[in-house]
Amino acid sequence: MNDKTRREFLATAAAAPGAFVLAFSVPQSATGDTTALDEINAWIVIHADDTVIIRIAQSELGQGVWTSNAMMVAEELQCEWSKVRPQYASVNRDAREKAPVWTLNVTGTGAMDPLGGGEPTFGNRNYVGVSGIPDSLYRRMRTNSASSVKDGRYYLQLAGAEGRERLLLAAAAEWNVPVVELSSKDSVITHQKSGRTMTYGHIAARAATTPHPHPEAITIKPPDQWTLMGTERKNLDIPDKVAGKVIYGIDIRMPGMKWAAVKACPVYGGTIKSYDFDAVRQMPGVRSAVAFPIPDPALTRGRIFSGGVAVIADYWYQAKAALESMPMEWDIPPEAAAFNTANMQNALLTAMDMPGKVRVNAGNVDDGFARATKIVEATYTTPYLARARMEPGNATVLVTANRVDIWIGDQSPQEVRFSASKITGIAEENVYVNQCHLGGGFGRNGNGPQAEQAIMIANAHRGTPIHMLWTREEDFIGTTYRPMGVSRLKAGLDADGFPIALEVRVAMQHDAPGFDSSFDGSSRYYVPNYRFSTHETRFHVPVGTRRGVGQAAGEFYRESFMNELAHSAGKDPYEYRRELIARTGLPYKDDMIKALDIAAEMSGWGSPLPVGTARAIALEERGAESDHMATISAMVHTISISQEGRVKLQRVDVAHETGFGLVNPLSVKKQIEGQIIWFYNDAMHQANSIKDGQIVENNFDRFKLARINEDPPEINIRFFNTEHWLLGMGHDRATSIQASIGDAIFQITGKRLRDLPFGRHDLTWEG
Amino acid sequence: MAFDIRVNGKKHSVDAASATPLLWVLRDHIGLTGTKFGCGIGQCGACTVHIDGRAIRSCRVPASAAVGKNITTIEGVSPDGNHPIQVAWKNFDAPQCGYCQSGMIMSSLALLRRHSEPTDSDIDNEVTNACRCGTYHRVRKAIHMAAELMKKEGVNE
Repeated sequence: MNDKTRREFLATAAAAPGAFVLAFSVPQSATGDTTALDEINAWIVIHADDTVIIRIAQSELGQGVWTSNAMMVAEELQCEWSKVRPQYASVNRDAREKAPVWTLNVTGTGAMDPLGGGEPTFGNRNYVGVSGIPDSLYRRMRTNSASSVKDGRYYLQLAGAEGRERLLLAAAAEWNVPVVELSSKDSVITHQKSGRTMTYGHIAARAATTPHPHPEAITIKPPDQWTLMGTERKNLDIPDKVAGKVIYGIDIRMPGMKWAAVKACPVYGGTIKSYDFDAVRQMPGVRSAVAFPIPDPALTRGRIFSGGVAVIADYWYQAKAALESMPMEWDIPPEAAAFNTANMQNALLTAMDMPGKVRVNAGNVDDGFARATKIVEATYTTPYLARARMEPGNATVLVTANRVDIWIGDQSPQEVRFSASKITGIAEENVYVNQCHLGGGFGRNGNGPQAEQAIMIANAHRGTPIHMLWTREEDFIGTTYRPMGVSRLKAGLDADGFPIALEVRVAMQHDAPGFDSSFDGSSRYYVPNYRFSTHETRFHVPVGTRRGVGQAAGEFYRESFMNELAHSAGKDPYEYRRELIARTGLPYKDDMIKALDIAAEMSGWGSPLPVGTARAIALEERGAESDHMATISAMVHTISISQEGRVKLQRVDVAHETGFGLVNPLSVKKQIEGQIIWFYNDAMHQANSIKDGQIVENNFDRFKLARINEDPPEINIRFFNTEHWLLGMGHDRATSIQASIGDAIFQITGKRLRDLPFGRHDLTWEG
Repeated sequence: MAFDIRVNGKKHSVDAASATPLLWVLRDHIGLTGTKFGCGIGQCGACTVHIDGRAIRSCRVPASAAVGKNITTIEGVSPDGNHPIQVAWKNFDAPQCGYCQSGMIMSSLALLRRHSEPTDSDIDNEVTNACRCGTYHRVRKAIHMAAELMKKEGVNE
């Protein structure tokens, strides 16, 4: 297909829903248009009918970014909210344009300045592709680390403000009045003196050609001036989601498109040795087969996945049937095939006994232990865990001589663009990544090598759009995992039961993200002598930033141990935590105490409970070791366990800080509710074990997902005000459920369990 | 091999093997992509549709089993997205990523057709769809609200 034909069929296709259904902004970015006539700036287009298009540079994966990013622009633009239509920003344009200079300087003095932009972080273009490009048009297009609001707020507010100011300037020119005499609200500009009004739609075209004389002088509204931000807004894509109308990557259909089913070697680092396509080429619909190598680790953030083979057919079920019948042999590295859960866990335990890398060494731990009245020691283990988003990996790719088009739901489209360029040899300026909504994400690297595999397969079929789709089992191969971990904590208590020495060891594989989370910098809970070390070994399973990242395991270790210490000291676990936080000099200690107090009070902490029911409290924080941005919450979980061992999370009481302000409190509540189920799954059900180097639990029969019957009947969420900008809350809240269920099991059954998931244990008890 | 099936009140002629799972006939032959593929083993329920008003997991049902019957998919729930169950879902802003929600709505609707006032335990027993985002809390509230709306509007009668 030449470029002219492609443009025609994309245009025809986009105009004919049903035959070719595509979401949102695809035609524009597919044809590479850089600007619309009525574009005010790269984030805002206003049509004559007052519709406001807001470009979203992050991926909507259920966290509500489609709405919260739009709110940050609309707050400053002062447009009518019901007229707002989000649209994905062009990933291609981001490769060709630089960010406006006025978006590059963050104002203010950081985390504790309400007037400023907070502390956004942007990565660098590096050898593994793109981890955020400091001066590209949309800069960081990644969606990770609960950072969309944190990193985007100041420049999305700026973009909205710049748009508003230019609309006012254009109106002032049209009316020939000084701009200072104008004001705007809900898309209407008013000249107070004359009483004249006009809508944004009326003046948008003129505003598009009216530059702002001093854009660098534009300031953003501090939280006390917000009128839209901070209010609960329903998510703008919900009407389509309840009607089955959202087009996810899996729903992309194109004229002439063929489907690819894939088998990658189930042992990471392995690849296809041989396959016999002749045995299946006569099966219905079958077109071709192609082997693909292990994707270049430089394109997959250093992770080594697998090579494999794809069968291409008219329909996906035909490709899958042929693939399942096709004889094939694997080339499997014997050292990888020798791994299993037991020997990997032993390797971690062995590493933990080695010296390791000392991250913190404050005071004299050995001296503290020598002086202690009592020593408490515990070892916790956590398994590999997959994200298992609901939409299996897929991408649709069309490669021609000098251009690549990709339709995909991905958390890092700039990296997809980079991969497409490297694999095909076609310049990034000619790669068009058309972002779709994701059927779940749960981690920046969650998409594994889905883009790279699809690009390699399509590159071998130039001119034909190829839609690669993984089976669920394949999705468990093409992903990175939360790392397996072990941690040993040892405390020396004084005569009052408070720790005077604490040693924490964590062992994980060397490339585990967030290896040192929850213990880095300080122990959080006060202890005068503290040593923290990490201990590495090497495994073949690719690990990545699964929801919760390092805090998921780290807070399980830390909060479980705090419960053990409190019980050992004969003290109330809430009061014990409160006292130990109060003794610290941590900058956010008052906020942590407030979180504990509010959660305890909400839960009726201390009031009697029926036999077989227990409460447990825990602190959740990211960033509390310093005075930079942080997010702090506390939860009390009320848990019952029947004598037959059935665990029921009855009630969750959540105290969560607002910082200077939450952008969309409704989305925050939904994210908290979702993470309660997420970490309940981690605590009770989920684990990925390894046998002969392969992931064992690779579909939802063995990788169990909690259903509605396990959702807690009561969730209470209370927000409290704090005086700093938040670090984000979309991925590491509700980690407390893990330690809390462990403690409820102890309180009710007397069993102290230290390895997840608890659902694999005998939890029966006798009254 | 060609056969006819009736989906959302409309007859479709399909040229596929009759053993093809109904899911793929709906998605790829008829073009109704609101029904989703999640696991392929009848576990997650993302592929839930109705056959003669009963909720089934279409990834495990051959298309032949639907011949001569009435199939309803999410696209057939209402012409405008305003069936009481969809109104209730929107009221609670229930979906997150939304991928499982077509199936969740179809299972819940089948429940409401049989129990006009479902209890929490009816919901627990019959809405067994998996949601990875954890929307259950709002889904439960939305089911109860949908029951009230459907009763008020006489939708079930």
